Amino acid sequence: MNDLLNILFTDARLWHGHRRKTTTPAPDPTGFAALDEQLGGLGWPRGALSECLLDAPGIGELQLVLPLLRRVTHRKQVVFWVNPPMTPYAPALAREDIDLDQLVVVRTESHPDLLWTLENCLRSTVTGLVMAWPGTMAARDIRRLQLAAEAGQSSCILFQSRREAHQSSPAALRLELAPDPSLDLRINILKRRGSWPGEGCTLPLKARAGQSNREPSATVIRGPWPDGPAP
Amino acid sequence: MTWLYLHFRHLLLDHIDRSRHDTGPLAVLSHSTRQVLQACPRARELGIQPGMALKTALNLAPELVMIHADDARQGEILEQQAHWLYRYMDRITLHPPDGLLAEAASVQRLYGDLETLRQKLQQALDERQLNATLTTGATPLSARLLARAGVHCCTGEASHMLGQLEALPLAHAGFDERTLQRLTRLGLTTLGQVFRLPAPELARRLAPETLAYVQRLQGQRPDPQTSWQPPHHFRQRADFSLPVEKAQGLLFALQRMLSELENDLQWRQQDTDSLLLILHHYRREPSRLRVRTTGPEHRADAFLGLLRIRLEQHPLQAPVETLELKVTRFLGRQAATNTDLLGEATDPGEAWHTLVSRLQARLGEQALSHLAPAADHRPERAWSTRSLTTGHQGHSGAMAHLPLRPLWLLPHPSPLDTTPEAWLSSPERISGGWWDGARVMRDYYIARLATGQLAWVYRDNQQNWFVHGWFG
Repeated sequence: MNDLLNILFTDARLWHGHRRKTTTPAPDPTGFAALDEQLGGLGWPRGALSECLLDAPGIGELQLVLPLLRRVTHRKQVVFWVNPPMTPYAPALAREDIDLDQLVVVRTESHPDLLWTLENCLRSTVTGLVMAWPGTMAARDIRRLQLAAEAGQSSCILFQSRREAHQSSPAALRLELAPDPSLDLRINILKRRGSWPGEGCTLPLKARAGQSNREPSATVIRGPWPDGPAP
Repeated sequence: MTWLYLHFRHLLLDHIDRSRHDTGPLAVLSHSTRQVLQACPRARELGIQPGMALKTALNLAPELVMIHADDARQGEILEQQAHWLYRYMDRITLHPPDGLLAEAASVQRLYGDLETLRQKLQQALDERQLNATLTTGATPLSARLLARAGVHCCTGEASHMLGQLEALPLAHAGFDERTLQRLTRLGLTTLGQVFRLPAPELARRLAPETLAYVQRLQGQRPDPQTSWQPPHHFRQRADFSLPVEKAQGLLFALQRMLSELENDLQWRQQDTDSLLLILHHYRREPSRLRVRTTGPEHRADAFLGLLRIRLEQHPLQAPVETLELKVTRFLGRQAATNTDLLGEATDPGEAWHTLVSRLQARLGEQALSHLAPAADHRPERAWSTRSLTTGHQGHSGAMAHLPLRPLWLLPHPSPLDTTPEAWLSSPERISGGWWDGARVMRDYYIARLATGQLAWVYRDNQQNWFVHGWFG
């Protein structure tokens, strides 16, 4: 019996399952060492959904995806912004060295339109990344998008409210984002592939306020405004 | 000279029959005499004959679908047939309401012989589900008479054609009622007998016009034909026997029209990027649907996919009686680049056009836009949207020299109602717009709010504070 197996193993016609190469595409590193370490080098999953859960804009959520945006647009793949809550500001994006020709902003009116748009964008081969602000989504719809992302091998990041954190979701990566008093971004990993959730890290994002290492408010002129709502 | 005549025995009937789903009896009626003019095979099975009165026909088949004959409509349909015939032959003359005449001798060498040409035409007719009699004649008039008499004779031999013509009964010879009567009284029954009469006698006893007619028929007198030129646009229509209420019902007819368009574009070696679909309703303004693709396209299934999305989004306002497809814009074809020999790799440009066309068809053209910076100091005017159809701008690298700006800009500045926790930058004064009436005088600061958000706030010259952006 053993001899028979050995003979079979030496036969070139036999396909060995364990030698199969992984066909999943290389993931995109997040560009932040601390976060990459937490994600075990997996970065933003390609061909899968990621979720970022946050309460309010302006805490550094776009800074988190900027390295990815830069890489995808330089690869000449298209990035779709579906229903962004505000205007993505072109001068700031250009300053961050993002190829604006590869950005497309899509606005949809109804929820079915939104789902249809996301699915079509994700399935297309030209798409590199889809960023969407969909509001509340049913798990069934997320599952559908997950399948579409797998078919098109494109990344998708959904920005949702932190209220969704306790809901389960089929997304491959779920990050809970919260601001830090020192302008950094605290990330709590709710779900990731290949490891346990619950860990987190802090990304230094002070630079977005235009100052790298200065102590805030030490060099800033205060006043001279005696009244009004401000200082 | 050899002339080929296509006589469509029941063109209107065929035209309507091919765009309907049901198989009930169908008849074309004359509006004035209330008589059946044409009847489909199903109706003939039930005993309805051309020339029958409407009441009799309705008694035979109560479910009979009736169409009123309309010469203008039939003329249009005839012209559609001339379009495809033009791909085979060039000198075409329209003989409304039901015939097409084409000069065959000049293309005979191209096809080898007339039989090959006839087979090709017959195949084209079968593809379009049309019935026609194809007949050749030595003169335009003789070809027409033979075809209308239902003589299937397709040959280049002059003697054979003449023999067929001479054997033609006088009733089919196209004489007016009075001449026909007089010739019959002379004891003549076929055209050959008329040809053998001496010409002066014929002119004296009957009329000079009759002689001219007979001479034109024999080719002794010139009979010039004005040849038809295809217009530089594409137009197809489908008429429905019963009004179509659901968009699904249109797709069947659309499929045929679009494949006709694909053939036409293939033949022209051109592409198009905009289709106009006109839906005619009963006693209502027709609705017009314009469908645009972002790139040049010629494939029927690509157009059909877009139209399907469009029709799903816009339900029909009223039942549709007639569907019309128009294309007036043609673009030169470009060979696809970036594809390998076997076409394994998909062309990224094509995938992009397909995706954007689909999105635009469903969401509308305004729903998609590119972003671009604009040269203005005022933050709300320092950016613009750009439509996707305009070409790529060739954007020039990183713009690190630009001042620090937030990644999110609020569409309208919102009043700042809480005191920020920390101030992180010295003020940046932006003052401008005095030249176009939208004056801006603001001092911008970067501030952290109590919620942890990093805001771009400003104070205007009335000492009011606003949030204008978020450093996301």
